[in-house]
Amino acid sequence: MKILIDDLEVEVTHGETILTSARKAGIHIPTLCYHEAFEGQGRCRLCLVEVDCRGVKQVVTSCTYPVTEEITVRTSTPGIEKMRKNIVMLLYKQASASTILHDMYLEYGCSENSLSDNPEEKCMVCNLCVLACEEMGSSAISLIMRGTEKRAATPYDEASEVCLGCGACAAICPTQAIEVIERDGYRIIWNKKFTLLKCQHCGRSFATEEQLAYIDSKGKYADPDSLICLNCRRKMTAEKIGIFT
Amino acid sequence: MNNWFQEVWDQESMHKELIVQPERCTGCRTCELICSFVHVQEFDTTRSRISVFNFEKAGFSVPVVCQQCSVAACMEVCPVEAITRSDRTGAMVVNHDKCLRCKMCTIACPFGATIYDPIKDIIAKCDLGNGDPMCVKVCPSGALTYQEPTQANISKRKAYAARFKAVYEEVG
Ligand code: SF4
Repeated sequence: MKILIDDLEVEVTHGETILTSARKAGIHIPTLCYHEAFEGQGRCRLCLVEVDCRGVKQVVTSCTYPVTEEITVRTSTPGIEKMRKNIVMLLYKQASASTILHDMYLEYGCSENSLSDNPEEKCMVCNLCVLACEEMGSSAISLIMRGTEKRAATPYDEASEVCLGCGACAAICPTQAIEVIERDGYRIIWNKKFTLLKCQHCGRSFATEEQLAYIDSKGKYADPDSLICLNCRRKMTAEKIGIFT
Repeated sequence: MNNWFQEVWDQESMHKELIVQPERCTGCRTCELICSFVHVQEFDTTRSRISVFNFEKAGFSVPVVCQQCSVAACMEVCPVEAITRSDRTGAMVVNHDKCLRCKMCTIACPFGATIYDPIKDIIAKCDLGNGDPMCVKVCPSGALTYQEPTQANISKRKAYAARFKAVYEEVG
């Protein structure tokens, strides 16, 4: 099936979203809460586009809109740009401590208004961390509270038994709101303090026990009896190959 | 030893292969330089996908690079199927847009051939130069070659792989 996105004819498979079709065709639509590992969430609403379907125009979130018939899409009309600017302004007001949102606030030319900032907050509640954790099979975090209080957290903000300490949540966060502290052989994340395992060869900390257990649960930890970091693994491989050469 | 590991070596691929012959390696590290340049646009051997180890006293050098295992630990532990085999090259490639950066693959790889590049914030591993490995082109000693899987080449690769296997058995 073919659709028109910004006057460009784009080949789409039935059911594919406007966002992925556009990206495949090299058309940029801004997003914050979208990640390719997951379906579109339609949360940040930055990916708004205008869809013309049989003469009826509507504004939709392109990450959740499946293409099922021939439509015409406009990704950047003056109306859309104005809405995006407002969204960026609101997201910034929600999470004013985020550098990326601050940069976008300036980039979109948002202007001061009567809404107050939230100077301590970096989280814009996009839910990506929750999805990532779920995908790891842990679901240590979820969105708690309602309205303006809503945020991602472990139950009662306590150290979660199921957290692996992998940091996927922090890595996926578009606003770098999740803190991972790593020092002196410890990793602290979501109020949980992990004692990192040390490599038997070089003594450097390289993983949490929970991470190894995860890999082991997939039957893939190469040598369950030894703890070897990846650098030493590579070096050992070379050594042994050398001996066998 | 886990059974899955056996399967790593029993593969017969239809793709061209990166064949490493450590006995020819002089330890010049040109492959590391070009690899990092191709992938991160910098001459930074710490971010190269191939690593050369020089054992000066023993007098040998060994390049270590991803084996594109048929049953690849990196792929098996990945929660989101961000690592898949390329139909075109047979390499295990990472979809950076899909990857969650959980780094499980880097811990799971038995050879330490899958690394995390903190500067680019990506999982980095050999992708066989997308079908045109530059390391092979610049290797002055013929220690790295990229060849069709002829019978002779299969045995060469198996010889290298057998050494990997020996490594593993010693470790495990
Ligand atoms: S770091 Fe990325 S590629 Fe590696 S296992 Fe995690 S999600 Fe998969």
